[in-house]
Amino acid sequence: MPLVRRGTTPPPEPAVAEDRAHALEALRSADPDVRWNAARTFQNDPVGVVALAAALETEPVQRVREAIMTALMRIGTDASVKALLPYLRWQDAARRGAAIEALQSLPDAIAPFMSALLRDQDNDVRILAIELVRGMPAEQATTLLCRLLEHENHPNVCASAIDALADLGTEEALPILRACARRFAKTPFLPFAISTAIARISDTKG
Amino acid sequence: MAQSETADERAFHVTPEEVRRLCEFLYRRTGMLFAEDKRYYIDRRLHERIVATGSSSFQSYFALLRSGLEGEVEHLVNAFTVNETYFFREEHQLRCMTNDLLPTVLRNKPPNEPIRIWSVPCSTGEEPYSIGIWLMEHFPAVDDYQIEIVGSDIDTRVLAAASQGVYGTRSLMKLPPSLIERYFENPSPGAYRIDAGLRNSIQFTEVNLVDARAVAQHQGFDIVLCRNLLIYFDDASRRIAAENLYEALRPGGFVCLGHSETMSRISSLFRVCRYPDAIVYQRPETERDND
Repeated sequence: MPLVRRGTTPPPEPAVAEDRAHALEALRSADPDVRWNAARTFQNDPVGVVALAAALETEPVQRVREAIMTALMRIGTDASVKALLPYLRWQDAARRGAAIEALQSLPDAIAPFMSALLRDQDNDVRILAIELVRGMPAEQATTLLCRLLEHENHPNVCASAIDALADLGTEEALPILRACARRFAKTPFLPFAISTAIARISDTKG
Repeated sequence: MAQSETADERAFHVTPEEVRRLCEFLYRRTGMLFAEDKRYYIDRRLHERIVATGSSSFQSYFALLRSGLEGEVEHLVNAFTVNETYFFREEHQLRCMTNDLLPTVLRNKPPNEPIRIWSVPCSTGEEPYSIGIWLMEHFPAVDDYQIEIVGSDIDTRVLAAASQGVYGTRSLMKLPPSLIERYFENPSPGAYRIDAGLRNSIQFTEVNLVDARAVAQHQGFDIVLCRNLLIYFDDASRRIAAENLYEALRPGGFVCLGHSETMSRISSLFRVCRYPDAIVYQRPETERDND
């Protein structure tokens, strides 16, 4: 019989940091394997959020950055969200994308932050915030997107919100969408997008 | 319609908030995510455990669960896991293993180092035994290497069954009679037992794939079959499981997922490899390969 039971090969010693103090120190190690294991140690430890956030800022290795993001997702508190939000403004698209992905997985935790994000001065941040809204329950998402559309002046931000409403909006959005179409009558693509969204929401309802 | 409730029914008035607390507890322990839309599934299993422990209410059951006494966490996890499988399920991946994965693994493997294969979750053992049978039938170099196969699961009840290695005809439905003849004993009508040689070659262990410390005891694998498990997890748990699979593999090792699962949407830790028989995911040989 060529198959053999394991036991002949002792498993290598795991490099998991044994305690929190060690893990905090290990997050600053020069060895990426040590940093990777340290980040993974904090997966269920809300106390680690501050250290994880600091490590994320300077971490050069993608694998370790992912582990830090995963730990922040798993902890899933307001503090995790606060640690991830700055990356919505990051120039590096990979980090920005990773932060959005992480934040999208925390619909309950991001909810208190959404109103402020949707009023952010930066158009790009408002567009990314709309992407986050997509992960929320339909009624809550519709309310947030309608509030945005009532006052939003940037056509690209409106277009993103309309697109999101077409996918998940409820009929409460219909009057807001019609008002938006009137407001942007001179920007032809928006009334067109709105008519599509209205048709889809109405179809879903019917 | 019923005018009088049984004691069981009285114990089973569980509020949505209590269900949420139970689901949160399960999630934190196992990574498995159950939501309100699985309410029937949850209620049935919760009911079973409340009755089995003789608890008078959800509150008393939940207190027992949180106390960690009487192995109730293990019983609850066992009740919530799904364990249906059969021999040679997704045979194309076994073909990929012998046609493409093992030849790739062997190119970089030092002489005398064993080939290590992990089946997780292994349920009642059909998958790890299938790997053993497949290798003996289709891997010409099977006698030239030490091959270690480990089957792991979070459910200790199925692990006990896997070690016994006794199956009904349904589990064997895809096996040709010649293989049944070669690898099984037939102690009684409708019951087939894996022969002792193969049974004693596979090690079975308990593991929770979202527990890094537990997975740390399972390392140095060349190939991991992790099929139809990640679908039970939420995004964060899937990523943790992906990290733990990465850690369990040797650099250059492969992970095979179920046909409806894809690692690309979970994590960028792995390189996608398209082979004629299957798409699998490889841990890069070096850090630079991944950055």
